[in-house]
Amino acid sequence: MRFADGGYYIEEYVKCANCGVLIYDGGIPVAPGSQDVVCSDWCREWKSQRAAGSDHPVLPLPRS
Amino acid sequence: MNAAARQTDMVTLNVIDSTMVAICREMGIVLMKTSYSTIFNEGLDFTCAIADPDGEMLAVADYCPAQIGGMPVVIKASVKELAVEDMQPGDVIVHNDPYRGGLHTPEHTFFQPIFVDGELMGYAVAIGHVSETGGSVPGGFASEATEIFHEGLRVPPVKIKRAGKDVDDVWKLLLANVRTPRQNYGDYRALISSVDLGQARIADLITKYGKATFRQACRDLLDYSEDRMRAELSAFPDGKYSFDDFMEDDGIVDQRFHIRVDCFVQDDEIIVDFSRSDKQAHGAINATLGVTWSASFNAILHLTDPAIPKNSGCFRPIKVLAPGGTMVNVDYPAPEVGGNTETHPRIAYTVIGALAQAVPDRAPATDAGTHCNFLFGGNDPRSGEYYVCYDFLSAGWGGRPFADGNNAVNCINGNCRMIPTEVFEVRYPWLVEEFALVPDSGGAGKYRGGLGVTKRFVCRDAPITVSHMGDRHKTAPWGLHGGREARTAELRIMRAGTKEWLSAVEDAGKISPSKFAGLTVQPGDRISLTTGGGGGWGAPSERDAGSIDEDLREGWVTADAVRGDYGRAGAEGDD
Repeated sequence: MRFADGGYYIEEYVKCANCGVLIYDGGIPVAPGSQDVVCSDWCREWKSQRAAGSDHPVLPLPRS
Repeated sequence: MNAAARQTDMVTLNVIDSTMVAICREMGIVLMKTSYSTIFNEGLDFTCAIADPDGEMLAVADYCPAQIGGMPVVIKASVKELAVEDMQPGDVIVHNDPYRGGLHTPEHTFFQPIFVDGELMGYAVAIGHVSETGGSVPGGFASEATEIFHEGLRVPPVKIKRAGKDVDDVWKLLLANVRTPRQNYGDYRALISSVDLGQARIADLITKYGKATFRQACRDLLDYSEDRMRAELSAFPDGKYSFDDFMEDDGIVDQRFHIRVDCFVQDDEIIVDFSRSDKQAHGAINATLGVTWSASFNAILHLTDPAIPKNSGCFRPIKVLAPGGTMVNVDYPAPEVGGNTETHPRIAYTVIGALAQAVPDRAPATDAGTHCNFLFGGNDPRSGEYYVCYDFLSAGWGGRPFADGNNAVNCINGNCRMIPTEVFEVRYPWLVEEFALVPDSGGAGKYRGGLGVTKRFVCRDAPITVSHMGDRHKTAPWGLHGGREARTAELRIMRAGTKEWLSAVEDAGKISPSKFAGLTVQPGDRISLTTGGGGGWGAPSERDAGSIDEDLREGWVTADAVRGDYGRAGAEGDD
């Protein structure tokens, strides 16, 4: 999320390119040099596998 | 985490969990009893919860399910924006921004930090559907909105009380932008009373057990719910299960908007992927991310053990993928007010439709899929005061693998009550002429879908501005495993001095019969609102004869329908 100086309004809503959650802390680039960001390594890996043509990735969720 | 790793004994865990849930229920009772609007004190369109300092939901009362799964999204987004170090005892934050975790513009979240000995221990939260938000038409549902600004005032997370004192500037700003400031004032006070009570009760609970014990119990409670949910999901066969359903239009363009889901079941987890869904609509049917989370969790809660404690832990094994700019994660500044009422059930039953392939013995057919939201406002000649009402109707639920669907129950995301006729007539200038179940509206099946209702009323003595946000007027609710479709919903208008019932398309040239805004109704004009039924489950040929006879006796099906749907005589001696 990019806020205006003083935080009075939002200049850009930044969302994870995979799951859609708001990203407040800069996020992780989908790929080196990419403008798109994701919220986690899991989202980056899932998106990468889908983009590579995997119809059914099996990727366990990170445990808290 | 397995049971041996939990540090809190099960008795203490259960007592703390049950106490928190009881506190949430009490918060709801306070809200019901002190609010001004019928959507709160009759409809119970709210939810009360307790969150931890990170915004994770610890406990929730069983009020409106639309708000349960989305609550953590709202609080987490707020906590990210508010400086926790600036929080003080007695602060109350208000928030309704749909693009920052909110569910839709009318859904106002009020929450209050819980401090014990100066340490932040969590939040007491009340989310309620405020019936008037400003915007282009009375009642918040600007069904012909094409941008968020038509839907009313958008409130980022701001303090409405600071250290126990009203922030007057915020109150004035909020109340200057709605048509019913007195009613909104009362409802905001009710929401604040609710979180006041929650804060005090939880602080007492923490003091009783001690902070360390309480904190550990909360951690263990979330882990326990996660374990229970994982145990349930491990019974789902691994695989990819897909389903596709749609909204019939968006009130602006007469075209379908699809929600497509792929559910990936992997061991004891589910990835709910909506990436193939349509781009966001022009009109107000888009869902926020909070709605899509909530609807997905709602669906899975309907397919798993209802005794699992409802908290953020039970959502951990479920990951929702909803890219921005789609029907399931609206981007600013597109409208979204119908997403929380009409699109939520479509999303939830799209997930259920997909997972019905994995667990056919757990999944029901769809419910009627619309709340038939009816909004109206005007000057009441009796009081001289402007009034606004958000009314909705219950509908039929789908047949289940073990029983018929329920008649006349608020759709899957509502759990709300209809306004009693007596209250409706006293509070608003309508006269109700008919309120009844609709025979044959449930889909035929081994287990029949539940019935919708019809309500006909006449405008008494002054013009009223009405709007409608619905769906399933053109496409029927689906059945499962050979069960038949149910009847569609309908809204008709009969102008005074005429004998013809017209849709809004025919009466006023609206694009959609189910989504229109700002129609003026004059004294003597009549409205007829009808909700659909639930889809049938299983082949009608498998329905037992005794159930068909009972349906006939109760008047839930007609003899003609029995002949047509079940292929048998409709009454004794009728062959």
